[in-house]
Amino acid sequence: MSRLLLTNLKTCPTTHLLSTISTNTSYFTPGLNHVERRQEIHLTSTCSEIRKLARLRVVDNSEIGKRAMAEGKPPRCIHVYNKRSVGYIGDKVLVAIKGQMKKGILVGLKQNQKLKIPKFDSNNIVLIDDNGSPLGTRIHVPIPTVLRTILKEKTQAKGADYTKVLAIASRFV
Amino acid sequence: MNITNRVFTTSWRKGNSFIRIVTFSTKPQANELPPFIQKQSQPNSTGSIEGRKSVIPQNYRFIYPEFLPDPKVEWRNPVREKLERMDMLDRRTKIDIPEFYVGSILAVTSSDPHAAGKISRFVGICIHRDRCGLRARFILRNVIDHQGIEVRYELYDPTIHKIEVLRLEKRLDDHLLYLRDALPEYSTVDINMEPENLDDSAEVPINDIKVVLRPRPWLERWERQNLQGVANVDQYITDKQRRQALAHEKPWEKYDMMKQYRSSIPEEEQKEIFAEVHSQLHSLELQRKRNKRKRSFVKPTKLA
Amino acid sequence: MLRTLIIDLNKLRLNPVVVTQVREKGHLTRPRLRNPYWFVRKERLARDTTVTTENKAFVKEIIKDKYGPPAIIKGIPSYDQSALIKTEQYERQPWHEKARRCGLIARKIGQYPLWLKNGERIRTTLLQVVDNHVIRYIPPHEYKPAQKPNVANLNKYGCLLVGAESVDPSTLTKEYCGLFRDSGVMPKRNLARFIISPEAAIPAGTPLNVAHFRAGDFVDVRGKTVDHGFQGVVKRHGFKGMPASHGVTKTHRRPGNIGGGGEKGRVWPGTKMPGHMGNRWRIAKGLRIWRINTKYNVMWVQGSAIPGSTNGLVYIYDTILPLRKHKTAPPFPTTFEEELEALTGPSDDIWYEDVHSFKDDTITFQPETN
Repeated sequence: MSRLLLTNLKTCPTTHLLSTISTNTSYFTPGLNHVERRQEIHLTSTCSEIRKLARLRVVDNSEIGKRAMAEGKPPRCIHVYNKRSVGYIGDKVLVAIKGQMKKGILVGLKQNQKLKIPKFDSNNIVLIDDNGSPLGTRIHVPIPTVLRTILKEKTQAKGADYTKVLAIASRFV
Repeated sequence: MNITNRVFTTSWRKGNSFIRIVTFSTKPQANELPPFIQKQSQPNSTGSIEGRKSVIPQNYRFIYPEFLPDPKVEWRNPVREKLERMDMLDRRTKIDIPEFYVGSILAVTSSDPHAAGKISRFVGICIHRDRCGLRARFILRNVIDHQGIEVRYELYDPTIHKIEVLRLEKRLDDHLLYLRDALPEYSTVDINMEPENLDDSAEVPINDIKVVLRPRPWLERWERQNLQGVANVDQYITDKQRRQALAHEKPWEKYDMMKQYRSSIPEEEQKEIFAEVHSQLHSLELQRKRNKRKRSFVKPTKLA
Repeated sequence: MLRTLIIDLNKLRLNPVVVTQVREKGHLTRPRLRNPYWFVRKERLARDTTVTTENKAFVKEIIKDKYGPPAIIKGIPSYDQSALIKTEQYERQPWHEKARRCGLIARKIGQYPLWLKNGERIRTTLLQVVDNHVIRYIPPHEYKPAQKPNVANLNKYGCLLVGAESVDPSTLTKEYCGLFRDSGVMPKRNLARFIISPEAAIPAGTPLNVAHFRAGDFVDVRGKTVDHGFQGVVKRHGFKGMPASHGVTKTHRRPGNIGGGGEKGRVWPGTKMPGHMGNRWRIAKGLRIWRINTKYNVMWVQGSAIPGSTNGLVYIYDTILPLRKHKTAPPFPTTFEEELEALTGPSDDIWYEDVHSFKDDTITFQPETN
């Protein structure tokens, strides 16, 4: 799962270039294909949940997050702050990103969701600091509306104000 | 039927050696042909040409597949099915649930307690449709801001305000779950898309677009599913995978009459079911047409 | 001569010290656990090969004459027994909190979702009350069951015999049909006894319908779970089994260790092991009734895990959970057919106040005003 994400990100520029040229045969040149193949090798089995060591995708424009994603070293979840240690939508996680530990909020999951709650193609997080205020200033993908309710509830319970994450969202679905 | 049509049909049938058993499909011949070809052979049978016997259009089982119950014998009960159908009709009087298929582009407006205006709208391509009765549901997929998003809705959920069909068409496969592994442009739909008007009498067009998949890893083994709407499965699979796909083929399944019997509702029962709901569905259809005309008259003034 | 006579007499003499030993004599004094009187053989051995078609038609004619023509009553094939039913003078008594009401016999006919008015989706099971009639009421002083049911102060309660689903009596034995002779109804396929307080007694021949309960009430549903036969621990108790490979041989779905050694060197009682799974009586307690349809005698009950298979028999009781018992007076002793129309009005459905009726408009949420 996380691997796919990585390949996806890496090939992003090429995809854009080539999609304008053709969509049918010989889509990827052999050389590119070779690179792709090498990236495909991974030994861990896919995990359909956010557990420890799950790779995530930073979707805000914080400096550290942008750099990590651009270098192809997406953050890994190293702790989930709930009792099940499986992260669901709106949960807080601790991530290892570029040699640092940062906290983040899960704002979109790949696993199957309940009715009318969107399911995303990648596992998205928004980096926050200890008070719940986001490190970036904008989220460049849509986030689910159900987060409003979830984060509001968590804010009352924990003391930190997570609703600031909602304020920097560009679009809700 | 003109010549090109016929040529296309036969060639398509030849290519489609493996046919997935469609859960709610019907008579044995119908099972061998995909739904749309059935419809082609009987265009516009609403007029009841054959007389008293076929007042109910033949294509109802494709337009309203959820009215046919689950074919599993142990779960069936006539009273439950009847009550369920009555509830579905009651709901349909309150909301217009249009005809749509896997591959059509829909916009669903639903009331959402979490949204700011307490209402949310999602536009996307229908990639999957399953279950029957009040549990019928479908998945919409779209790519918004380079992020693939899918939402699953229930057809009879009373929080849904409106289901609009923006583009009515069919695809070559029963499901389009492989769009998750395809390039994003194949599932990208403009959020502010205007509904495309389709002539009522015209049959539903089939979009025979071939989707280009991303390189592996994939979410499923698409090479084993004999998908018609995918262009480049062969490009990415190894010889071993090809061999295994061949080994997992089940070409005898289309001759398995028992399996067909178990996974479908017999035609006589379908007739009974649709005879029960036909009059109400028909009046709803007429009402929809009337509304459509009204709306098409109002709209230009609004746009100008 | 005399000697032989003396010997014979000697033989006849009774020895008072001789004791004939009888093993386990205690079983003679034990109280016999007799079955209730309605436990008689039901099905008649079908020897229809010798019956001609004319005779069959004649039997049908007799049944029609005696019980009435076949009819579909509330969605269930039955017989039109209106001529049979005796009308008795009946006096209602007021409900009180300690009263035990009668229950119903129903069939589980399937599941489908309903929605609440706040947009929440709930899963419901449909139970159809199948042609229930009261067969007999046994007052407390007569009701002395040999096998005591687990009810406190049983001597204060009577017993109500209820039957469900009318059948062709020619398929039943004479003894079984005899049970129904005084009731004024046809022989029924299923019988159940409900332990009731004397105030809740209902005269024999009264049809019971789903309006015996109100929408919003809580019920207990008793049924026999689906029979899975003899199953291993993986299916029966959800054990994980052992790996498929990595040197594991012949123990892929086995339980593994079943006990320790030393002091506790035995298998403890209650250890989860393979065995028969399902086919047990189970009660799902405290389920809310969300909706009632009086036309088909159907109730929508909370949850999709009612014991039993679809089209299986279940028994519905007032709940015994103390916090969910009736707060206000339910239909007491039951809702009679004459009262049904006043209850439902023009539509057949009665919805619980929180449930969204499909005839209502789409659910909308009001934006907060702040």
